Amino acid sequence: MEFLSLLDLTFFLLAGFGALVGIIFGAIPGMTATMAVAVCLPLTYALGLHHGLALLLGLYVGGISGGMVPAVLLNIPGTPSSITTTFDGYPMAQKGEGEKALRVCVVASVVGGLISAAVLFLFAPLLADFSIKFSYVEKFLIILLALSVIASLSSSMLIGIFSGVIGIWLSLIGDYSISDGGNGKTRLMFDFMEPYLFEGFSLLPVLIGIFGISTILLEAEKGVKSDTTNKRIKIGKGAGFSLSIFKGRLTNLVRSSFIGTFIGMLPGVGGSAASVLAYTQEKNLARDSSQMGKGAPQGLIASESANNALTGGALIPLLSLGIPGDSTTAVLIGAFTLQGIQVGPLFIPENPETWYIMMTALVFANIVMFFLMFYAIKHIAKVVMVPKHILYPIIVMMCVVGAYAINYGIMFDVWTLLIFGILGYLVQKIGLEVAPLIIGFILGSQAEVYFVKSLESFGTFSIFFTKSPIAVVLWGLIIASVMFSIVMGVKSRAREKMELTQITGSTQTASGKGHDSNSR
Amino acid sequence: MTVSKKTLTGLGSAVVMASMTFGAGIAMAQDGPLRGNIRVVIGSTSTGGDTYQNSTIVVDKLAEQLDLNMKVDAVGASSAFRTLDRDSRGNTLMIFHDQSYLGYLYGVEGYDNIFEKYTVGPTVAINPGNAYLVPKDSPYETLDDIIAAVGDGEEVRVAIQPGGVSEIGFSALKNAISIEHPGQEDNLVAVNTGSQSDKNQQLFDGQADVINGTVQANEQYTRLPEDDQKAMRFVWLTARQDTIEQAPEEGLGQTTREQLLEYVEPNVHVTMGDDETFTFDKEFFFLYNKDMDPAIVDQIDEALTEIYAEGEIQEVQKNSFFIPNFKPSEEATEYLQEKMSRYEEIIENIQ
Repeated sequence: MEFLSLLDLTFFLLAGFGALVGIIFGAIPGMTATMAVAVCLPLTYALGLHHGLALLLGLYVGGISGGMVPAVLLNIPGTPSSITTTFDGYPMAQKGEGEKALRVCVVASVVGGLISAAVLFLFAPLLADFSIKFSYVEKFLIILLALSVIASLSSSMLIGIFSGVIGIWLSLIGDYSISDGGNGKTRLMFDFMEPYLFEGFSLLPVLIGIFGISTILLEAEKGVKSDTTNKRIKIGKGAGFSLSIFKGRLTNLVRSSFIGTFIGMLPGVGGSAASVLAYTQEKNLARDSSQMGKGAPQGLIASESANNALTGGALIPLLSLGIPGDSTTAVLIGAFTLQGIQVGPLFIPENPETWYIMMTALVFANIVMFFLMFYAIKHIAKVVMVPKHILYPIIVMMCVVGAYAINYGIMFDVWTLLIFGILGYLVQKIGLEVAPLIIGFILGSQAEVYFVKSLESFGTFSIFFTKSPIAVVLWGLIIASVMFSIVMGVKSRAREKMELTQITGSTQTASGKGHDSNSR
Repeated sequence: MTVSKKTLTGLGSAVVMASMTFGAGIAMAQDGPLRGNIRVVIGSTSTGGDTYQNSTIVVDKLAEQLDLNMKVDAVGASSAFRTLDRDSRGNTLMIFHDQSYLGYLYGVEGYDNIFEKYTVGPTVAINPGNAYLVPKDSPYETLDDIIAAVGDGEEVRVAIQPGGVSEIGFSALKNAISIEHPGQEDNLVAVNTGSQSDKNQQLFDGQADVINGTVQANEQYTRLPEDDQKAMRFVWLTARQDTIEQAPEEGLGQTTREQLLEYVEPNVHVTMGDDETFTFDKEFFFLYNKDMDPAIVDQIDEALTEIYAEGEIQEVQKNSFFIPNFKPSEEATEYLQEKMSRYEEIIENIQ
């Protein structure tokens, strides 16, 4: 327990301050946990490794959690992994339940964060050994499983799949990057576009554009009149928050936390897949998932516990293989490098003090995040009370600044934001679905890389089925997920048909009666 | 309107955050031609990699010496080149390594001839860690075993990231095989992958027999017990012998300099023909916009000369397993140009 002597007040203050700044970064559309960590990375020089880690882990936890705020209140995912939070959070906010939704998110987040921290602490080396069983083939299948959600997320399966395919197609624009082992050649564009689109569209501007800007355009179409009605929404009134919301949802909470941790520990699969998978699993496995997507707390629980569970998960391969599990831990590794510490399979046994320090910081940051957010929500939720003609221009400005900053000052990212804002608006106008499109966009390029690499490595299509027992299990899950969507689709169509016949039946009777009375 | 404490705290932290994001304001007036805020873009997107680490060491010292605000941004090669293209004032500088011309030699999209398009600045350090590894239980004990096996018609797969530093050792090996065992070189097969984790994974999966790696990233793997699926063994470090000899005696992690020397020439011999042995030191240097004021080139040269004369930076670099290697711009350009033509030959030979 020698590490206890290293814990001083500054350590806890830094972790807490990190969580606060992280939340702010996460809450501003276009600024992410990764950015927060990157900006503060040079500070670790001055702070020393242990204090530096306290700050960075605080930023990491805060940054991931902060993403829920704009997702719920404004329909803009603050970070890519909070996309699924918008599905139920925004409808709840529109019903005046923004505060309740945020509180559900905060509780789910802290549970997810703490479960993953426990898993990290107890099983890191063991799980790292398990994670290397996932080669290109298994990673491709995980992405495919996440993509299979597209079917169950859409109200019309055909349109959903079509939107998803458009998303995948958009993600393939640009080069097949050499850093992914590709040939560095561009495709799906004209030569004159190359200077702008060499690396394709950046994820975050696309995300903010398609969710945020298009929402604002749709609102703008309605005009400012609706402001008056907005004021009547009493935040926090009606069904308030109580822990009983979690009653009967514990399985969801724990399952989603484990999914988040698990996806986090697979390098290169990415955070968005975690919340998407957790969300679908809830949709597929819950007894009643009919309200999901319309403002159901269970969707928020799945999404937020999974994306916070990523933090512990992504630290597993970092600390036991020296390989970052997601983009933020890829920056975090810099803190070790700058201090001349090698992270690899022997990091934990050789640096037990640093290891305990990190665990303390991670748990403490989660707790600080919980208290900061749980009690600040009342005030944060008031954002929706700001008149829209004031709020929306500010959001647009923040989105533009965020998009410009995300790749350190690329103007084309701002154009991307606007292009996808308009595209998102048009897509909704012509009846396509945004959620499958964006999931396709996020997962498409990864799916391509892992698919091509699997074929390059093994040289045969059959490898996808025969690679390992893990692959077989994943196929089982994919088939179950698709079957489930089809069954649900057929059921809901049958129900609609029945309702329709009932309605037409009753109108016919009514008109028949009218006719009868007329003829008399 | 009452302002709550929370709002104040929120505002306060927002200001702190904003100031951290957008830098610490304008630097004080300077005398030299280089003034204002200086952004140093690097050719890697990773803040955990050697380019970022080495650039941070050099830029920190330089900022102190010149009394300027300087910041390293890990934007990646193509963004870095594009950013440098746009700024001829000298407020954007670039630090990169041999990849900048190897990418051009391998014909990678987005790479031009740096000696024509940019001004090559001073070299600052070498990372001596470029390595090739095999699984610990591999039948190949040495690089000679691999060359002999390929010469005998056995297929050996090497996981590399194509088009640069990771590939040059592979190309040299292929060239050596074509010299020693003409016609057999096609048995050495490149497995194109991306990041270090992908290369490691190929080894764990048995999809590669040899991987390119680094001393820094792979040293801990070489200390795992043989029955561990992840255990590896160095077979070759491409650095020159006298480069490794300058490393600290304790080496890196628990692998001493003595042990590392076992894997470099002359213990490992990769022929280039005419008794010449192939070596490759990964060197870091500055790149400037071609139209930048030459007085800035001189100013940075002078500042670095003073920094290296003080001797402190060498200690910091060595502690981080870099070998200090300062050469002023002119000398560096000539040296790197010659280096490029040497590798150009190898790449042409095997094509």
